[in-house]
Order: sequence, then C-alpha cells, then structure tokens
Amino acid sequence: MDPNALETEAQSAIAAASSPDELEQERVRYLGRKSELKQALREVRDRESGMTLNALRERLETAFAGREEALRGAELEQLLGEESFDVTLPGAEPPRGHYHLITQIRREVEDIFVGLGYEVVDGDEVEDTYHLFDALNMAPGHVTRSPLHTLYLNGDTVLRTETSASQIRVMESREPPVYMVSLGRVYRRDTIEAKNFPIFHQVEGLAVAEGITLGDLKGTLLHLCRAFFGEDQQVRFSTDFFPFTEPSVQLAVSCFLCNGAGCRTCKYTGWIELGGSGLVDPNVLRNVGYDPEQVSGFAFGIGLERIAMLRHGVPDIRLFWENDLRFLAQF
Amino acid sequence: MLPGGQKLEAAKLRGEVSEGMILSERELELGQDHSGILVLDDGPEPGTPLADVLPLADDVLDLEITPNRPDLLSVYGIAREVAVIYDADLAPPDVSGGQSPGPGRNGQVDVQVEDLEGCPRYIGRLFENVAIGPSPAWLKARLVAAGMRPISNIVDVTNYVMLGLGNPLHAFDTTKLDESRIVVRRARKGETIRTLDGETRKLEPTDLVIADASKPVALAGIMGSEDSEVDESTTTVLLEAANFEPLTILRSSERLGLRTEGSGRWEKGVDPYLAETAADLATRLILELTGASFAGETEVAAELPERPVVSFRPERANALIGLELADKEQRRILTGLGFDVTKDWNVIVPTWRARDVTREADVVEEVARFHLNEVPFTLPLRRTGARLTREQRLRRLVEEALVGAGCSEIYTTTLLPDDADPNALRLPTPLTSDQAVLRTTLLEGLVTTARSNLDVGNEHIRLFELARVFLPPADPRPEEHWRAGGIVQGGFGPAKGVVETLHEALKIEPSFERTQLPFLHPGKGAAFEAGWVGELHPERLEGEWGVFEVDLPALFARVPERLVYQDVITFPALRQDLAFSVPEGVSAAELVTAAREAAGPELHEMRPFDVYRGDQVGEGRKSIAFAVSFQSPERTLTDEDAARLREQIVSALAERFGAELRA
Ligand SMILES: [Zn+2]
Repeated sequence: MDPNALETEAQSAIAAASSPDELEQERVRYLGRKSELKQALREVRDRESGMTLNALRERLETAFAGREEALRGAELEQLLGEESFDVTLPGAEPPRGHYHLITQIRREVEDIFVGLGYEVVDGDEVEDTYHLFDALNMAPGHVTRSPLHTLYLNGDTVLRTETSASQIRVMESREPPVYMVSLGRVYRRDTIEAKNFPIFHQVEGLAVAEGITLGDLKGTLLHLCRAFFGEDQQVRFSTDFFPFTEPSVQLAVSCFLCNGAGCRTCKYTGWIELGGSGLVDPNVLRNVGYDPEQVSGFAFGIGLERIAMLRHGVPDIRLFWENDLRFLAQF
Repeated sequence: MLPGGQKLEAAKLRGEVSEGMILSERELELGQDHSGILVLDDGPEPGTPLADVLPLADDVLDLEITPNRPDLLSVYGIAREVAVIYDADLAPPDVSGGQSPGPGRNGQVDVQVEDLEGCPRYIGRLFENVAIGPSPAWLKARLVAAGMRPISNIVDVTNYVMLGLGNPLHAFDTTKLDESRIVVRRARKGETIRTLDGETRKLEPTDLVIADASKPVALAGIMGSEDSEVDESTTTVLLEAANFEPLTILRSSERLGLRTEGSGRWEKGVDPYLAETAADLATRLILELTGASFAGETEVAAELPERPVVSFRPERANALIGLELADKEQRRILTGLGFDVTKDWNVIVPTWRARDVTREADVVEEVARFHLNEVPFTLPLRRTGARLTREQRLRRLVEEALVGAGCSEIYTTTLLPDDADPNALRLPTPLTSDQAVLRTTLLEGLVTTARSNLDVGNEHIRLFELARVFLPPADPRPEEHWRAGGIVQGGFGPAKGVVETLHEALKIEPSFERTQLPFLHPGKGAAFEAGWVGELHPERLEGEWGVFEVDLPALFARVPERLVYQDVITFPALRQDLAFSVPEGVSAAELVTAAREAAGPELHEMRPFDVYRGDQVGEGRKSIAFAVSFQSPERTLTDEDAARLREQIVSALAERFGAELRA
C-alpha cells in the first residue's frame, strides 16, 4: 500500500463529500475496520512504518472531523434558511408602565438643579399664613391672601398657593448660603378649564449667598431654559412685580416653535412668558434673620404643567388629571 | 375694515354698484348715533384717509401694568417711562386756562368731608351754563380707542382725564343734590343706592359714599347714582376731583362685586397730589367744550403725605444688578422718572411713586429695569455639593419599580367630595362641594381613574399614584404622608405581585396576613407592615381589580441602610419540593414562618407554588406545595443534613398545624 497515494485519494474524497451521509461512507471506506489503512496498521511490524501510518490516520481523522463540521453547519444554515418567519411581527410584550409627564418634567428640573448644586426640598402642602404670606412680604391686603384666591382650612392654615413657604422654613433653620428648589403641588381657588386647574405643580428656586446678582439669576434661568427647550434658545427679562422680590422680573424664552417668526403659542411676539423671578426682597431676608447687607439672593417660580404643555404641545391642562392611558402612554 | 370686523367692499346698493359706503358714528364705533350718517366738518377732499380727518387711533398699545404701578394706568404715566427709555423731554400736561382762580374763591361749593382717612382730599368745582351735548370727534375717538364708550361732553371729559392722567373724576348735576351739598362719609346702616348700572345696592357702614344733605349720591370712587346723574337737561355741574383710600374702595368693590375703571385705579392707590392737575385739565376741557363758566371751588384735604427720601448707593445697585452702570446714567434714569437726587445720593421719591418706592432696593429696581438686557449671564459661585435626600431617592425607586411592573403613573386630585375618615380635614368654603375634603387615602382616585379608563375602552389597566394624604388631626397642621397606591386589572394576584415586586426593589421582605377592609372583597384582603393589598369589592367597580396602598414613611423605615453580601454561590443549595396537607384555615405564610423557626437559617428559601384541594386530601383540607432550598454559607450540605432539616420542618408543622407531608 502506498500511503501517499492513499492520502491523496482520501483527501479528495473528503473534499468531494457533499453531505454528512456521503462523508460517513467515505470515512468507513478509508478509516473503517475493514479499510485498507486499518488492515495495514494491523500488519505493521516495524516502528518506522507504524509511525507513518498512525500519523496518516490522525491527519485523515482531523480532515474528516473538519469536513463534517463544515457540512453540518451548512446543513443547519440551509434548514434555518428554509424556515419562514415574519420578523415584523411584534415581540412578546411585557407589561409596560409609563411615568406621568409631570413626573418626567419634575425629575428633569430636579436633576438640572442638583447638577448646579441645589438641594431639592418637598415642603408641606398645608401651610400657615405666616410662612406662606407674611414672611414672604405679602401685606395683609394682598389679593393672593383673599379667600377668593386661596383655599383656607381655617383663619391661618391654607393649602399652599406656591411652594416658596418651604424656602422660608429652610432659611429659618440655617445660616446662608442656601441653594434650593422646591417642587410640588400648589392650590388656587380656580375653576377647572383648559388652562386652569385648582391644583398644579410648581418649581420654585432660591439662592441666597454673598454677592448673588441679577446676572446670576439670568444665567441660572438661561441654563434651565436651554436644558428644557434646546441649546439655541434665548431668554429675555422684563419688569414685573411680586411682593417677595425686588427688583422683580418676568422670564420669557424665545419661541422654540416659530424661532421668533411669530405664532399662536407666543401670541406673535416670538417670546413665551414662563414665570416670575427677581432678587429676594430685603424684607424677606430680614424676616428669616438674614442681613441683606451681608447676603443677597434670587428666587424664581415656574409651573411644571406650563413647561409640559409648551414643550409637548399639550393643549389642555385637564389631560394631566384625566389620566387616560392613551394620553399617559404617549410620554 | 370696520371696528366690528366687517369689511367694506364694493357692493350692489339699490341696483347700483357702490364702491364706498356712507357710515354712521355707530358703525365707526365713535358713538351711539345710528340715526344718520356722519358728516365731516370742513368738507375734506373725497379720498382723504379718514384717520387724517378724525383722530381715529389706528395703533393702540395694549399694555399690561403690574399692580404696584397705578401711575402707569394713564397715558401720561406711560409717556414718562417712554421719555426715560428714549432720553427725551417730557412736557407737562397742558392745563392752561383750567387752573383754580385761587384761594379767594375757595369755599363757594358746600363740601364736607367727614372721613378724611377714607377721602384725604376732595376738590369740588362748580360749573354753570353747561351745554350738554356730544363730544367732538377727536375726544370720542380717543375714548373708543381706550375701550370706553362716549356718553356726553361732561362725562367724556371726566373719563378722558382719568385715561390721560390716572385720576378718576366724577360729575354731579348740582340741581339734583339735596341742598346742593356734598358730604363724604361712611354709609349708614340700611342705606341703599341705585347705581348708574340700574342696580339697587344695599350699603354697609364700611362703604364710603358721596352724599348730599339727605342720601348717598355716589359710591365713592366706584360708581355714581342715577339720582344725581348728569343728563341732557343738566346746566350746573359739580366736578369731583378727589382722592380715596385704596383698601376702602377695594373692600366695597369686592363686596358688591362691582369693578369699574375708577375702582380699579383707586384700589391700587392714586397720587393725592394728582387731584389738582386732574381738576385743572378737566376744567380747561369743560370750559372749551361745553361753554360753561367756572363758578366756584371748594377744596377739603387732610395733610398730604411728604415725599419719601431714600438713601441710595449707586455702587450697591451695581453690585446687586451685576452690571457697571455709570453714576451719571443712574442719575439720569431717576431724574427722568421724577425722582429728585441730591448730590450725595439722597433720592426724593415723586408723589406718584410714594407707595411703591420707599427703600434702597426699590430704587435699585428703578435703575435695573432700564438695563435688564445688558445684565450678563453668570452663575453663582458655589462651594457645597448636593444630592437628592434618601427619601427622594427611594421615592424614585418606588416609581421605577411600579413602572417596571407595568403600571402607569396617574395624578389625581387631593380634594374630594368626601372621605372614609370622618375626621378628614374639610375646607370650610370649598370652591365646589366635590373639592371639599383633603383625602386620607389614594383609593378613590385610583378607582375613579380605573373606571374612566374602562369607560373609554382602554385595556390592560394597571395604574399607580405617588402622592400625599393628609392625616387628621390638624394641630395646627395635618400630618402629610407620601403614599403609593395602585389598581391592577385581574384581581388579587396581579396586585399582590406588584406589591411584592415593590418590596423586592427596596430589599424588604413583607409579611402578609389576612385582613378585612370595607372596600375590599371580604375574603381577599391582606395587610403588610406598610399597607394593604386586596381585591376591590365587586360592588365598587365592574370586573376583578386588585388594589393596594403603601405608606412610604412606614415602607422606607424598613429599607436596609446597607446591603451586605451573602455567599450563596460557593456552597450549592439542595432543592426539593415539599407538599403538606393542612386544615383549610391554615395560611401558607404561617407554615413558612413555623418552618423557619424550626429549621433555622439553613432553610434558605421556602416558596409556595401550588395549592390543591380535592379527594386526595379530603374534606376541609388543602395541600400546599413548597419549593424548598437548603443552603449554608459555610459548607456544602449533605443529603443527611437535608433529611434532618426536612424532618425538623415536618414535625414542627405536624405539631402546630396538624400538617401531613404528602409524597
Ligand atoms: Zn412662536
């Protein structure tokens, strides 16, 4: 027997096998018990030819194994390829929940201000008139104090009309600097309509430290507006009036819907009013025992529903309270 | 285009094409006169723009004025601001010929002010030989542009001066005043007045009135009476240029639900010094427009307030604004606004700003507001770090667990028509009766929202809310607790699964026991450490619904501060299933608790996975199957260990519950 001729013949038979079955027949022929090679191995008498034949056997076994893997892989591929499967059908659906849009906005605001080093304060929804009105420099005759605007539980307990009472409580409890935002439900004696709901959510911010300026307020609100409405937005400030700030300014952001060209949302002005702000009135600082000559501060307040409605085009505030799953699932 | 929005177009009129249209005053909204066409004086050339002939205002500025600036509720006040913005000169109002003839004639009108607090100043001027008639077109046009209706020359003059200068005026027909006398006083109990709007109004002693010798003839600062009204036959007029105290007017106006252009100005505070200028301008116009003669005057006044003086530091203004404004510019702004500024920066506030500007911060605002756009955008220099509190972070985790469990978050109202707790806090005067009570549970909002979703055909309803409840008593304020509540379609099982998922997320192991709550299915309610879960009573909502409510402070109190690694990997667990037949009343949780006591910590897990009732266990009994795993962190347990642990469990359960181990 000529090992070289045998190997050449066997290798070409392996390469020619086109299925695992054919390959198996060839394997029996070249490596089976009755094969020429096995016969020769049994008859080996000298060490030299034993090594040669064994090496040949190993090479052929490796070749068969390699060819078999290739053929089986190809066969599997072909089988899988013949399966017809519509990949556009939906997957198996786990139950899906959604965060309320106001929660999403709230978290964004919280994260923006935590990023600026502010603490987040929840505060209570039932407040006393001292912390909500007196300490915030609202004179006894101020319209907000009227039972026509505010929901009273009794003569000096009310549902908070803004979250800023918690600012007073924080300032009362510690020395400056104070950097905080308070977010949560506030209550007004409003009838329910498209843009009004007696309960809504506010973020109110406060920074009190040495050397705080109106410029710091502008920079902070610019940061907030760009985070919410896009990095290209501009902000504008105009004079306003609030008892707890002096100077008081109204914040407006450039209209991100029309880019200043004018549209219904911005009432054709190119600007959208977002909320009130200003430098903390010295009376407020004095009310909590701070010295307005030592520290200054700024404060601002913005409605979360307003942000949500503007940014997402939600036309009616009642949608937030109706909780129709078709609405909730959009966000 | 006409003021009403109607467009003028070529139209066929009596068969002829008409390119134009002849208009009446009413169509132009210049007056009420619809009897005929408006004929222009001096016959201008046809084709001349109407606005060149009539001072029709084609541009009207609609300004929003903040409540602290009643001085801006006038054209002149706005002009003063504009002058500062454009650095222009502001001319004084032209009152030439209208000034009082001097103190010599004072006292010729019978005016008594009994309440100088409510009415610190009253100027009464008497006009005779007044010819009442329509105002000239220019005056009508200006009133209309400002949203007012022209009435007659006298009334129009009072309104014009109010719009121009900001001081509301009033005119009486003197012959209709009993004894031709004016008395400013508080109303007497039981007095009434029929105001110009035709309403008869009951007065209170808090109301300030203008009266004659016998009766009120005007609600001071708010509205006149029909009795004393100027009409076509009037020939003598008493012009009132007064000053009224804001709160008095505000209270009467709010109580009577009567707001007018006048009351809206008084309630914000009008400069008492303005009354004289207003009287002068009105006098000039009355003399010009009605041909009247100025017959006399009386002025009664308390001592008028001094102008406040504020010590001001321009560098302090710059420090607060964050902008370097030159002293000169700061001085220019203040002077232009009517402040007098001394050399060493004592700022003397003009009378019309005396209520609003009393402190340095107020003056800073005056300077700042003209340069807001130039203030640079900066951020405060901070030195401390910040993060959410533990409670805030855990609340987020609760939301995440519930959303992850397939629940959608809802926001429902805090104020409800009623609450199960009879002591729940109640608003004494709610806006509507269905917003009267502060809720003590989230349940109602969940059920209501599930129902409304069901009603619109939504499916797979799983909802949760994270909000506060308000627990009585209020001493002085109620306790506010954050709660998480949920409602899940499918009944008890799915809801309890959500509750268990929530606990797992917080690494808390809850223990459940049967409970009965009035709103739950009587057999399917469970209490755990921080709340309850159950199947909603079928009468509450159609279908099978699981509901739960978790008190977050109670839940968070059980959250481990720090999680410590447990070796559950090195030494493998031995798993087996054990089924026990027990009397019907025994709960799975009781069996697990007893098994843990008996087997100790090497009983790693014992989870019920099947309950069987039937012939094989007999009447009144059930079989509960548990997946049990034994594990030790210290060594590999042997089969002998497992047999020992199992024997401990079996004998303990047999002893305590009559439990029998099934194959
Ligand atoms: Zn726009």
